[in-house]
Amino acid sequence: MADLDFFIGDEALSRLRSSGLYTLRSPIHNGQVDDWDTMERFWQQCIFNYLRCNPEEHYFLLTDSPVSTPESRECTGEIMFETFNVPGLYISVQSVLSLSAGYAYLKSISDENSDPSSDMTGVVVDIGDGASHIVPVVNGYVIGSSIKSFPLSGSDVTQFVSQLLQERGELVPPEDSLDISRKVKEMYCYTCSDIVKEFKKHDKKPDKYIKHWSAIKPKTGVPYTIDIGYERFLGPEIFFKPEIYSADFATPLPQLIDRCVQSAPIDTRRALYKNIVLSGGSTMFKDFHKRLQSDIKKIVDERVAATNAEHHVEVRPIEVNVVAHPIQSYAVWFGGSVAASNPEFYEYCHTKEEYEEHGASICRTSPVFKGMY
Amino acid sequence: MILLQSPSRFLLQILQDRVLSGEKGMDIDCHTVEFDDVRYHIQFSMRNPKVMVLSVALPLPPPEAILYDGLPLGAIEAIKAAYGPVVQILDPPKDGFDLTMKINLTKLPPDEEQRNAILTQIASVREVVLGAPLKVLLKHLASKTVAPNVDKLVALVHRPNESFFLAPQADKVTIVYPMRFQDSIDIVLATSFLQEFVEARRTAALNNVPSCMWSPAPPLELKGVPADALNANAGFVTFVVYPRHVEGKKLDRTVWNLLTFHAYVSYHVKCSEGFMHTRMRRRVESLIQALDRAKSDAEKLKKLVHGASFNRLSLKNEGN
Amino acid sequence: MANTLRLYLTCIRNTLEAAMCLQNFPCQEVERHNKPEVELKTSPELLLNPVLICRNEAEKCLIETSINSIRISMKVKQADELENILAKKFLRFLSMRAEAFQVLRRKPVQGYDISFLITNYHCEDMHKHKLIDFIVQFMEDIDKEISELKLSVNTRGRLVATEFLKQFI
Repeated sequence: MADLDFFIGDEALSRLRSSGLYTLRSPIHNGQVDDWDTMERFWQQCIFNYLRCNPEEHYFLLTDSPVSTPESRECTGEIMFETFNVPGLYISVQSVLSLSAGYAYLKSISDENSDPSSDMTGVVVDIGDGASHIVPVVNGYVIGSSIKSFPLSGSDVTQFVSQLLQERGELVPPEDSLDISRKVKEMYCYTCSDIVKEFKKHDKKPDKYIKHWSAIKPKTGVPYTIDIGYERFLGPEIFFKPEIYSADFATPLPQLIDRCVQSAPIDTRRALYKNIVLSGGSTMFKDFHKRLQSDIKKIVDERVAATNAEHHVEVRPIEVNVVAHPIQSYAVWFGGSVAASNPEFYEYCHTKEEYEEHGASICRTSPVFKGMY
Repeated sequence: MILLQSPSRFLLQILQDRVLSGEKGMDIDCHTVEFDDVRYHIQFSMRNPKVMVLSVALPLPPPEAILYDGLPLGAIEAIKAAYGPVVQILDPPKDGFDLTMKINLTKLPPDEEQRNAILTQIASVREVVLGAPLKVLLKHLASKTVAPNVDKLVALVHRPNESFFLAPQADKVTIVYPMRFQDSIDIVLATSFLQEFVEARRTAALNNVPSCMWSPAPPLELKGVPADALNANAGFVTFVVYPRHVEGKKLDRTVWNLLTFHAYVSYHVKCSEGFMHTRMRRRVESLIQALDRAKSDAEKLKKLVHGASFNRLSLKNEGN
Repeated sequence: MANTLRLYLTCIRNTLEAAMCLQNFPCQEVERHNKPEVELKTSPELLLNPVLICRNEAEKCLIETSINSIRISMKVKQADELENILAKKFLRFLSMRAEAFQVLRRKPVQGYDISFLITNYHCEDMHKHKLIDFIVQFMEDIDKEISELKLSVNTRGRLVATEFLKQFI
């Protein structure tokens, strides 16, 4: 029964701290599953303890990252059909769901605002804890060849915040350092429009900008307080100036988004610029979308101006729109729930019969990558 | 997790988030099922962010099960006793549901511990409502009496269209579960599990627990029950509960355990299937390795040469 | 018990060693086709006499040979319903992965639980004696796995029951 003695999520973290009996394992690294046994148990706990359902009686919708391999989808199918005996399974691409969540949300808040020709076209900027991807979607289909990956993600922001706190000499207990940095990141970090100005602002009015964080040292029980200053805007800044955190990568996120759109088919680019959708927890920093929009706009306008000057023409200005909505941190889930409540959903699923007839290879391809594999 | 926990995590999470979230509210309207027999419908409206409307649909009762006004015996009293002023029962319930409750979060006690206790209780609504008749009967057992106006054999709703049976007596209550499973593998595994219950009961350490029997045919207690209710494909399990099993605080735990016996067995059947798959995957890997050993070196080399890093080497070899 | 198994497997091994002499043989009916004759049975002179090795009623192994292919089918011991279900489950699991095993047939021959089809190409790619090693290990492993699975089901059942009953103490 040792295989049932495990916990997931917050419960796992609290158990880890309170007793030395358990070790911590993460089945997903950088958005890819690399430990299938652990993943299987994770699903088992999700289904039986959290959802409390009998998997044999429900169709399942799972999501995976746009760059996951066909083999990993096969493994997923194997586990879902064989271990859990699900009657049907649909493995969806996260970015498409985020995009549809955006549409569904806009539709739900106002009827006149919704675009009747909403045709599922846009660039999804998905920044999670472990992986960041920029995925162009046209008419509901992913343009696989234009997917770009950004090497920094939420966990890097946490790492950077903790590094800054340390360098500034704040006394944070090392075993809690990452945990506190994560909380600091979630509560206080924001995006600024200009670092230099922001530094000046902080220096002029420290009491307005510096926040305090109080906690108790886990080992000794002594309370302590740390100041949180520049970290607040420097953390998210790694998306715009990656060189301040990592020496290996210097292309800022806005530029990568621009490259992604530029590599897409030429007739889709205007539509893609018009709808850049954010998704994932690490896009929740205050004013993140504004900064992204102005930076991309700058790049696009410069290119238009250069074209105009070179060819003596007047190109119609390109509309750049970064869409933010309050559900973006769980946009994938929201999109998934919209998709799964659609009556047509059952038709798209791989069924158990198909699996038994053809084997796990039916899960290799995802219909949204038309003709990619 | 070996034992099933009573509160639904889903409900509890929603309630806790809502209590902590302060005044701002979002519309929530969601459906969820639990163990595939109880269905919940949770609603929060923007206008009234601190009031949750919770509707519960109970498993479809089979014809032999006894119900009072569509709810299990004593359910209303149990709800009132468990939740007090926080919960108000709406009559009639929403269409398609058996019970609709209005939960007013502003009436929760301010003390955090007490509040969490009540929220956990609300999340355990399944135990409170479905377990009510069992609790009434077992309470009488604790005081060594038989509940008045109760038949010799009581059928209670267990799963959709399935019931389990109680034969209450002053000094003991006999409980019989007809066990049914859908999948042929599940039936076989469950049958062997149920026989282990009988075996486990014989060990010295478990001398004091309710005695436990398993038989492929309906036991004597079920004489006179319509045949429809007795078509069990994994046999019948009988527990005999004595007053010492329902004393004081043990009552609630016993009620919950008896109520979810089927879910418990079915959960473990599923888990052991998962465990088997893990084992089988390993075995397949080791067998494939054995097959790989059979491949001749030439074959292996051929494979390697195709790899990009060996391209140059192969060119050189050809040149020679 | 273990001894009779050893004898049974040795017998299979010896038979396979003798039977597995395959050569390339193009199809006689369609030009440039090359088909396993043991499956198609196009002409009787290409087939050899099948060999049936039995350990007992429930466990047997059928070896059918032809000029360019050999088919090995076996029936696995299934003493009771639980073993039957476990064997079915495990063998299905294996057949689902027939692709990875190359020599495994997707469907067993009728009346048997699992079948292998080995062609002359397999023999060219792999060492013959190691291929036979694999087949024998496979048979051994299936038996072992099924009895271990059965044991694990029983111990699990016991633990599950104990944990549940402990609640009443």
